[in-house]
Formats: sequence, C-alpha cells, structure tokens
Amino acid sequence: MNLSLLRQSRSRTLIIFMCIIGAIFVIRLFYLQVVQYGYYNNEALKEHTSKFTLPAQRGEIYAKDGGGAVAPLALNEASYTVYADPRYVTDINKTADTLRRIAGGNVVDNFEAGLGNKSSQYTVLARQISQKQADLLSAAQLPGVGMQEQDKRVYPEGSLAAQVLGYVNNDGQGQYGIEQALNSDLAGKSGLLKAVTDVRGIPLSVGGNNVQEPAQDGKNIVLSIDRNIQSYIEQALKDGLDKVHAKHGSVVVMDPNTGKVMGMANLPTFDPDKYYEQSDYSAFQNAVVTDPYESGSVVKTFTMAAGLNEGAVKPDSTYNNTGTVKIGDATIRNVLQTVNGTRSMMEVFEYSLNTGAVFVLQQLGGGNINAQAREKLFGYFTDHYMFGKKTGIEQAGEQAGDIIPPDQAEGNDVRYANMTFGQGMSNTMIQITSAFSAMINGGTYYKPTVVDGYENSDGTETTKAAQIEKSDIIRPGISHELNDMMHTARALSIRGQDKAGYFVAGKTGTAQVIDPKTGAYTDKNAVGSYLGFGGNSNTAPRYVIMVRVTDAQVSDAATAGNAAAAPIFANISNWLLDYLHVQPK
Amino acid sequence: MSSSTTLTLNMQPTTGRTAQTWRRNQNTVRHQLTSGLGPISHTVLIAVMLCILGLIYLTQITKTSTYGYQINDLKNQQTKLADQKRDLEVESARLQALERVKNSDVAKAMTTPTETDYAQN
Repeated sequence: MNLSLLRQSRSRTLIIFMCIIGAIFVIRLFYLQVVQYGYYNNEALKEHTSKFTLPAQRGEIYAKDGGGAVAPLALNEASYTVYADPRYVTDINKTADTLRRIAGGNVVDNFEAGLGNKSSQYTVLARQISQKQADLLSAAQLPGVGMQEQDKRVYPEGSLAAQVLGYVNNDGQGQYGIEQALNSDLAGKSGLLKAVTDVRGIPLSVGGNNVQEPAQDGKNIVLSIDRNIQSYIEQALKDGLDKVHAKHGSVVVMDPNTGKVMGMANLPTFDPDKYYEQSDYSAFQNAVVTDPYESGSVVKTFTMAAGLNEGAVKPDSTYNNTGTVKIGDATIRNVLQTVNGTRSMMEVFEYSLNTGAVFVLQQLGGGNINAQAREKLFGYFTDHYMFGKKTGIEQAGEQAGDIIPPDQAEGNDVRYANMTFGQGMSNTMIQITSAFSAMINGGTYYKPTVVDGYENSDGTETTKAAQIEKSDIIRPGISHELNDMMHTARALSIRGQDKAGYFVAGKTGTAQVIDPKTGAYTDKNAVGSYLGFGGNSNTAPRYVIMVRVTDAQVSDAATAGNAAAAPIFANISNWLLDYLHVQPK
Repeated sequence: MSSSTTLTLNMQPTTGRTAQTWRRNQNTVRHQLTSGLGPISHTVLIAVMLCILGLIYLTQITKTSTYGYQINDLKNQQTKLADQKRDLEVESARLQALERVKNSDVAKAMTTPTETDYAQN
C-alpha cells in the first residue's frame, strides 16, 4: 500500500472526525444557548434573584384635640425579634447573659433551652425589643444571633378610647374597634422588590429584570372622637358607676347635626398596648355598637314622635291614666301608680307612663291596637329610625338588634304595646343615639361615624362630609315640639341638675332584665339609661348623650335610669356646655 | 512592509488638481507607497480591541454593582432614621398623653372655674 496514500486517508478521516465532533459541539451549544435560552435564563435568574417584601406602614389614628388640632391615639414604632441559629452559637452562657442584660423582660421564657438545642436552626430568644436594645445587641456581635425588624402598634394614650380603637395582634391584624373595621385601609399594601443579589443577599442594581413595586402605606385616620371629651366621659362614667356600685356601663356623645361621634366609652376597659393581659374578652367589645338591649322608656320619645308626626296625638292631647292597661290577656302597668287621672303627652314623659305610650299606639290605629297601628309603628321604627338595621359605623362587630315585624305571629298586639316603651325589641345604643339625633335636629338622619377624615401626606386633613341617610324622618315642626316636651319634662322631673340658661332635654329609661334562672323579667335588677341633648334652644341642639348602666345596685331597680344613668348625663352635659362654648340664651 | 514604484510618462501638461506645470518632453516620475497590515496583525489588533471593550464593560458593571451597595447602605440609613423619627414621635405622644398631663404638678395646682360668663352681642 502506498504510504502517502495511507497518510492522506488517515488525515482525512481525522479531519472528518474532528469536524463531526466540532459539529456536535456547535449543534449542542446552539440547542442550549439559542433553542433553550429562555429555560436556562430563567433558571439562572432564579439562582441569582431574590424576592423581598417591602412592608407597608400601618396607618396612624388620631383624635381631635379641641378645635382643629389632632392628637395621636395609635402610632407605630420599630421593634425587633431576636432569634438564633443554635448551630452557630459558640458560647451559650455568654449569649444568654448578654441577652438578659440587654433585652431584660423581653426575653422569651426558657430561651436558654432553645440556645442549647443544636438540632434546631431557628429559635426565638426575645420579642419586641426597642431600637436602642437592638443597637446594643448588634454591638455585642453574638455569633449565631440575628434580629428581624417589625412594626409594633403603640397606643400612647393608654386605655383612652380602647374599645373604639381595638388593637393589632402579633400577626398585624386589627382586632375589634376601628383597627378591625378599617383594617384594609389602615394596613396598606405591601410592595415587592425582585432583584439580583450577592452571596449575602444584598440586592444589586444590575440586570434589567429587577422589579420594584413600592409599598402603599395605610391611610392615617382622624377620628371624630375628641380626646378631651373622651377622657371626660370615661372619668364621668367611672365616677357614676362607683356611686351605684356598678361595674358595667357605656356612654356615647354625638354631634346631632353631622352624626359624628365625639366620644364613646365603656367600662370595664383595657389597655390596647397590653391586650394580651386581658382575661375578660368582653372588655374588648365596644358595647355601644355590639350589645343590643331592651332600652326601655327612652323609646317612648320615638313612639311619641311617630304619633305626633302622624297627627294621631298632639302635645296637649290628654288621656285617662288608670295606672294599667289591658292588652289581650296581658296587663301593662306604670311604675308610678300615684299619678292616675287625666294626663297630657308631656306628662307621659315626665312620669314615664307606659299607659301613655300605649295610648299613642292606640291612636295610630284609630283608637285601638290593630294591624294598622302595628304597621305604622313598625314603619317608623325600621324605615324612619332605622332600628333593626346596622348603622354601618366603622366599628367591628356591630349588631342590628331585633324588631319583630307585625305580620309574624310574635308581632302581636301585646308585643307592640310593649315596644312602645322599649320592651320586646332590642337596639344598640348607636342606633338609638343616631335616630334620636335625627329626631331632635329637625328630621335628618345622618349616618353615624367615628371618622372625621383622613390625614394627607403634608399633615393637612381631608374632612369627610356628613352623610345623610334619610331626610324628613319627622317634620321639623314636630321635632321642635318634641324637644319642648322633653325639655319641660326634664325640667319638672330632674330639677336643679342643669346649668341655667341652657336648653337641656332628655328621657330616662329603665329596662327590666330577664332572670336566666326563671326566664321571666325580674324586679331585682334593671338596665338604667338616659338619652338627652343640650344646646341653647329647641332648634339648636349641640350634642346628644346616651348613658347606660347595666348593673346598678340601687334600692329600687325600677328607677335605675333616674338614679344611675341620669346623674352621669347631667355631669357630662354641664361640662360639654362649657367645653363646646355654648352660649346661654 | 512592501513598497512599489510606478513610473508614469506624462506627455500632456496636467490640469485640475495638479498644480505643477510641466515642461515639454520632461519625464515625470511619481512613487506611490502602499503599506498595509497583514492577517496576523489584524487578528492581534481585533483581539486587543475586544479585550479593551471587555474591560470597559466589566468596569461599568462593577461600578453599577458598587452603586447597588451604596443604594443599599443609604436605604438602611434612611430606614434607621425613619425608625428613630417614629420612636421620637411615640415618645413625644406619650409625654403629652392626657393621663400624664392630668397627673402633672402643674395640672394638679389648677382649679376648676366656678362659672363661665359670655359677653353678649
């Protein structure tokens, strides 16, 4: 065989072989880098990029502070959770001693055991330490110990308006009060940062695939609550309850011309900063909106307004009060049995005559309690006064109460006779206060609210306009007549408690409670209420106050409204006249 | 490097760009030097240029990364200052809380007015 031919043949084979190998590489690279570009690019990005949540700052809550000023009720401050990866902790004793010295009472129980557990990768050592403590801990440079920043909700005014506010739990969720009701507005929306990071996880500004969606902080809310009024009514309620040895009570103060709540207090209360120390969870509830009850004789004002507005009775109408009235097989009695005889509609308020309220219902039916009377009263209660419906106030857990319609078997004559003086139906205090405000302001029902407006980024406030829910629930003239009747009744029944020169009016309410043992109304206990308003004339009410005392220890339970709730009303009313600079006539 | 010489006989006087005037029967000679780079030189030059471009690219990328660290540091500082501001606001609010004000010595020394009078219009 020719040697040169053989060499030429080998070389050619080698070249062809090399070309094939080269082609395989080229094809493979083409496949990986061109065809599979998207897949491998994504895989690489996954390795190099990290996602960071940019937490939104929870909106702050402010109260009015007299005039146009505001004062903070709920703020945020930075706090830190201290954790450790026990595998990297070199000196357990030194770490524990340093933590105890710096974090003090913020260390978690038995954190030393967690430090010693080398099989664990994460153990919490201390919670909610302050910025200063965090700085000291960082300076100590403890191996294996890290910190995670998080916002902590703080309430600088302590327990002031606690139930109106609610609190924020460890998961950052608002609980109770406005914290829960407006949680989505307050919480804001977290942002997102998706970026290429280095080995330490620090985001780098390289690459065109970085994504940054800034966090949207929660709205700062300005409440219609005035902190001075709130503080005063809380103290007045406490003093009033102490006098009658009661433990449970509520007060609400409303501007009748806007529906804005100026103060709302409940006892017992709690400190939102230390909500976890509270064992009685009912203290978290804002009973003014969450606790419907048979409000008793304060409802007579609503029955009377319906009768006056329908023309069924007039302020000077009279009836023969016999002390009792028989409806079917039930007998309805007055508490006061010494004022029998001919009585006017004003005296129905003055002596709180149940028979007088039933008389108004009879007149609505043309002289008898019938379907027409029941339909009319039901219409006023539900369509005019909005009873049986949630008001929509910005508070968690609002209840609608209960009004039995007249077309149901239980909505019979006896029930409707009882309803005229506030039994056999249930309302929340906010429902009654809102409807009463409408009744005395000329007939405009404003949606009750605790929100005055929202704070802008420049510190100014955008005020929320008052929202009219229904106009002309009664005619303005009827409203003024009713105001005069209540004013006269108060002046005659509760003498010497009001400041001279002012127009203060109202009505007591004492509701029997059902004894859980017998299932029947008991005379041993009653819920006392007072519902009234003040201003300088019958056409210019400046505030509405409703007081409820749930467990007054008074000699006669039937007078709980007068003995327990009325003094608290008078105390607050007289103070408000000065605080609101109401000039006497 | 290579060079070549071109001999041109010019029988006619030139015009236009040639500013010289030629005498009759004068032979003129022009030498045109044509020098160029060989293939190896080209390759080396391209490689050097690519290296320079690569270095410039790397410098810019590194600079961008450095900016990333600077931005991160500044953001951390900003967060820390914002936290300090919030802490001070909370401290200020606590100091001005109604309960604290009511219990202060100044407030305790105050008296309640017995009567409020208003000037009549």
